[in-house]
Amino acid sequence: MDIPIILTGTLAGSALLLPALDIAIGTKTNRTFSAYFTSFVMAISLALVLLSATSVIPLGESAAPKLLQNDFMGLVFAIIVLSVALMVSLSSIDYMRDEPNTSIYYSLLLFTSLGMILLSFAADLLMVFVAWELMGIPTFILVGYRKKDPNSNEAAVKFFLLGALSTGVLLYGISILFGLTGSTNLAAVAAELSTLDASMMPMLAFGVILAIAGLGLKLSIVPFHMWIPDAYEGAPTTVSTLLSAGTKKAGFVAAIRILAVAFPLLKLDLTMALAVIALATMTLGNLAALTQKSMTRLLAYSSIAQAGYMMIGLAVLPSNLGLTGLLYHSFNHALMQGVAFLAAAMISSRFSKASLEPYEGLSRSMPLTSFSLTIALLGLAGMPPLSGFWSKFILFTAAVDGNLTWLAFAGLLNSALSLGYYGLIVKRMYVDEPSSTQKVHEPVGFALLLLAASMVVIITGIYPAPIYDLTQKAVLAFVP
Amino acid sequence: MEPLFNYFFVSLLLFAIGVYGLISKRNALRLLFAVEIIINAATLNFVAFSRYLPTPSASGQVFVVFAIAFAAAEAAAGLAIILVAFRLNKDVDIRELRRLRG
Repeated sequence: MDIPIILTGTLAGSALLLPALDIAIGTKTNRTFSAYFTSFVMAISLALVLLSATSVIPLGESAAPKLLQNDFMGLVFAIIVLSVALMVSLSSIDYMRDEPNTSIYYSLLLFTSLGMILLSFAADLLMVFVAWELMGIPTFILVGYRKKDPNSNEAAVKFFLLGALSTGVLLYGISILFGLTGSTNLAAVAAELSTLDASMMPMLAFGVILAIAGLGLKLSIVPFHMWIPDAYEGAPTTVSTLLSAGTKKAGFVAAIRILAVAFPLLKLDLTMALAVIALATMTLGNLAALTQKSMTRLLAYSSIAQAGYMMIGLAVLPSNLGLTGLLYHSFNHALMQGVAFLAAAMISSRFSKASLEPYEGLSRSMPLTSFSLTIALLGLAGMPPLSGFWSKFILFTAAVDGNLTWLAFAGLLNSALSLGYYGLIVKRMYVDEPSSTQKVHEPVGFALLLLAASMVVIITGIYPAPIYDLTQKAVLAFVP
Repeated sequence: MEPLFNYFFVSLLLFAIGVYGLISKRNALRLLFAVEIIINAATLNFVAFSRYLPTPSASGQVFVVFAIAFAAAEAAAGLAIILVAFRLNKDVDIRELRRLRG
């Protein structure tokens, strides 16, 4: 079966159907209909992708092989983004309950998911650009979804201007790659570049650097990270989850596909440049997170730091191990960051404030949420029995293999540093005395979702083989 | 090769103007224009390359059609957001947007 094409039909069809149903039969009166419908569509798509990843359903040939490449790399990222999208749509049932126009919200959510999936499978720079925009434009609106809320609007203005800039810069980079090769198909670009005249090398470097900068604005790597904390704090927290755990991962797959083409041909030392970016990203993210007073801001900076760890995989790129680590960490990070952000969303909506005060003694008033959040935070810090440890271990090993031992050391030190703020939250929840002992209502569905996702973090930590095998299969199929 | 070089020079100039606008201007609408100029610099590149390369290729022109359509969609979304910002703040100066600070 042609998974990307089927998902295009399913997701785009549902996204168009939702607002139409809203007008035709007035589902406005039944606010949760769109939420359940979207979650259902996401669950079916995720099941389809998972069945295909476990080879129950054959992946099949692409109907448009020059645009979409049906490979395991795309499948791994499709699993990641669809799990995140499913988590977001399920949690929005509770979180967005009092917002108007929910059908539009879920419709945009479906369009963004479709953009992320197409980006995962893209084999042509044209498809990369189209999917990039399909993923980006709905998120501009989603960030500013609470249009009466000045914070949400401010986040949207900043996010939009930086997002539009990233599109422009990426497009300029692509135009130079096209000019050098006369083609937009990634395989053809790679073939043409291998015979490129040496005098054109500075042009190629210019184009690749612009493309990295365009992608980097979404990947939240230093020095393009400034908008991240503002956008994540102002946006509805479910949308921040989507941005941090979903669109960022889709950006990484685009970066892998573009860099894998250009990397072996560049005569300049891009490894060192990317390694320095990785170091700056993780250090700055972790240091800034230490001083934050708001939970969403703290998680935003921690998400920047995690992007730094993933950049290690790009810095050692010709290495299979680094790429495996990058895919593996993308999967783990999406789950853990998703749980952490959604738990923060639930807590901030219950206490109507995003500061760290409600976390004091939270384990007594919201035990299930506190437990899931603890698992997610410890996993993000890289505690050994949890899945976050294994992927970081692989990334650091890849750095040592690639003669970047200092980067592996810096990563280890950064992991220790990150325990400073992750541990502080856990201490607040479990050790500190609560200001009031009043029991807080935890919505059952939401709490179960968080518990289920944190169970996946624990289980894949104790038994990492299936995910590791899948990512390795994806990398081996991608690198000939 | 000569005309291609001229087109590329103009496109680089447009790119530089866009970057200058982004750095120096503080009005959200001007920033949006600056970004649009960068996108148009890229589309000019595509058209010039697809016409003047040693092996002319139509895929550059196809790309331009997509780029124009998406830039328009993006501008529509962006103008809507900036319009809401104007209603809330009576101003579109991004220096005044400093509610979110940490």
